[in-house]
Amino acid sequence: MNSIDEIIELYKRDVDVTLIDECLKRTVEERLRALQDFGEAIDQLRAQTAKAIDKSK
Amino acid sequence: MTNLSKLLCALGKADVDFILVGGVAAAAHGSPRLTQDVDIVYRRGADNLRKLVSALGSLHPYLRGAPPGLPFRFDVETLQAGLNFTLTSDLGPIDLLGEIAGGGSYEQLVDRSISADAFGVRCRVLDLETLIATKRAAGRPKDIEAIAELEILRGRSGFR
Repeated sequence: MNSIDEIIELYKRDVDVTLIDECLKRTVEERLRALQDFGEAIDQLRAQTAKAIDKSK
Repeated sequence: MTNLSKLLCALGKADVDFILVGGVAAAAHGSPRLTQDVDIVYRRGADNLRKLVSALGSLHPYLRGAPPGLPFRFDVETLQAGLNFTLTSDLGPIDLLGEIAGGGSYEQLVDRSISADAFGVRCRVLDLETLIATKRAAGRPKDIEAIAELEILRGRSGFR
């Protein structure tokens, strides 16, 4: 085993398989829609957070 | 974050030959990891480049990170002169890749991709085995966590 493989194996210990299993219950379209919806929600949160920080200055 | 549904619809409507790779392909396979941009490998034939320009031209594609005002025309000649383009657009960041490390061109990858329907568009998604191989070939430290996740996913996966 080379060092990269060893590092990858170490990372595997911390992978949350419950999240993977939840994703695998969905269809491809549902997975991609969830990705997009989550991304849009984060974009909105970022904008609101930036606005709040500006206001507090 | 790229508006994935609108992008796929634009590419599908113009009948562009492309393969989803990178983080979006990983998400399609069941990875819960968030990604910010869309990476596609596009076929380099002139007819496909025309379709790509038709699909994306009105979305104001521009070189990501380039200083404002730098002349950039998104046309067939520009696509022919280059290979991989990291772009901004009205729909968000899009990476147009003529080739990827560990995988090669559209022609080399098409048989290692899976057909999937999303947002009313039939698109091709790089298969999980090749996705892992390309991430390993890229050799980027930031991909190590993703590779670990994809290798676990491979053991539990079912492409639905």
